[in-house]
Amino acid sequence: MNDAIQNEIIEEFDGLEWFDKYSLLISFGKKLKPMDEEFKTEDNSISGCQSKVWVRSYNKDGKLSFDLDSDAMITKGIIALVAKVVNDRYPQEILNADLYFIDKIGLKSNLSPARSNGLESIINRIKEVATNEANSNDLKN
Amino acid sequence: MKDLANDFPILEQKVYGKRLVYLDNAATTQKPNSVIDTISDYYRTDNSNIHRGAHYLSEVSSERYEEARKKVSDFIGARNSSEVTFTSGTTGSINQVARSLGPSLRGKEVLVTGVEHHSNIVPWQLAGATVNAIPMDEDCNLLIDSMEITNKTKLIAIAHVSNVLGCVNEIKEITEIAKDHDIPVLVDAAQSIQHLPLDVKDIGCDFLAFSGHKMYASTGVGVLYTSDRFSDITPAIGGGGMIDRVSLDKTTYLDPPLRFEAGTPDIAGAISISAAIDHMQKIGMDKIKKHEQEVYSYSRDRLLEMDNVTVYGNTNEMCGAISFNLDNIHHYDTGLILDKMGVAVRTGHHCAQPLMGSLGIEGTVRASFALYNTKEDVDMLIEGIEKVEMMYK
Repeated sequence: MNDAIQNEIIEEFDGLEWFDKYSLLISFGKKLKPMDEEFKTEDNSISGCQSKVWVRSYNKDGKLSFDLDSDAMITKGIIALVAKVVNDRYPQEILNADLYFIDKIGLKSNLSPARSNGLESIINRIKEVATNEANSNDLKN
Repeated sequence: MKDLANDFPILEQKVYGKRLVYLDNAATTQKPNSVIDTISDYYRTDNSNIHRGAHYLSEVSSERYEEARKKVSDFIGARNSSEVTFTSGTTGSINQVARSLGPSLRGKEVLVTGVEHHSNIVPWQLAGATVNAIPMDEDCNLLIDSMEITNKTKLIAIAHVSNVLGCVNEIKEITEIAKDHDIPVLVDAAQSIQHLPLDVKDIGCDFLAFSGHKMYASTGVGVLYTSDRFSDITPAIGGGGMIDRVSLDKTTYLDPPLRFEAGTPDIAGAISISAAIDHMQKIGMDKIKKHEQEVYSYSRDRLLEMDNVTVYGNTNEMCGAISFNLDNIHHYDTGLILDKMGVAVRTGHHCAQPLMGSLGIEGTVRASFALYNTKEDVDMLIEGIEKVEMMYK
């Protein structure tokens, strides 16, 4: 996993008060390309989140990328960061990934299963996709 | 009125360096010192299982438990304390009725309102009944004249106060109509017992359910009032403490209330409800109602005067909860930012998805009040909302 991207994010959030952190997340959220409405289906949505989250994945030359969207802006900002870290990686890289930036930028409470924005569910979904891809690659080989 | 918050130690704390403004009381209320002390004193000096022991402590705890029952009975105006059963909470109470009445509900209809909590919908569905709502207008006023009772209607089960909007339903009008059709009425009083003086004889309901933890008592305990008219219904739960005689061929049950209390109940919880009633009565239910009305009306006025805020529901009488959304800002975002301001609210569908469907929304921000909230708390909420709006500009 490319730790440089995670370290860059950590640096960006370093020393910020919550107000600025959330403002930054909102600005990332606003910049994230919205998913086309036609892809916001039940299958692509993640249940158990207070805000709606949709995940689509695609494979290019064996590397995985994710389109993520949410109807809540702060959630969208968080998933924009997740996408930045995991996109364009081989499935095994994603499976091995330690997304330590979430803790370092003070969003760990958003990761707990009790927290209903379900960041954990989102990461689980991403890893699930990576697992399936890794397994199908094994079969092909 | 003296500062009623002083009796609640949890409210003294700061969160994120700010004074805690607790506006999530429809989810659960905080506990006064008297309730906390009652619970810990019970375990320090009186703890024993009830109704069974031949020893001193069992006598003491049985007595305290039965005193709690009497206290609740008087508090809700029951004719007889045998009409009061301790349960695990409102959800437990409603499920208990659904299981007891189950056979008579299967394939029939239960009438509810459009603002119900899921716990007053799902138990009836599990019992095999069809659940239909009494029509309401866009402000969430019940259209009682349009209520359709057919020969399939076997029960009317209605929230006294909406957990989302704070709308007070006209339950007395409904029980009067129900009486003409000889249909029993269950009232979900989870969101009214802590706000309004309440009398089951006056309401004329057959069942009434509420939770301890939303009325300043502990979690895991609640009450089901079952009118004497239904004293012979089949118990929903079987086990120890509720039987007359057991044999492998045939078992007979005790009369209520023990008939409906199988197993060891939450003794400390029941006693904590008694302490919570003492606390409320010391202040006075009428005073609580008046004070809360002032805070509630103030919050409504302040929210309504904001340009980019939509407030949901508008009925003659309202109390407890108020729901709103900020234009183009997700309720979850609003809740997250308010949290950082020290303002605790709840966001989402509040276990009332049919209501969200009627309103055409996914969720709301809900502020909900208790006796210790003040206009200053509302000011902090408004300040928080202004901050949210600023961040999205």
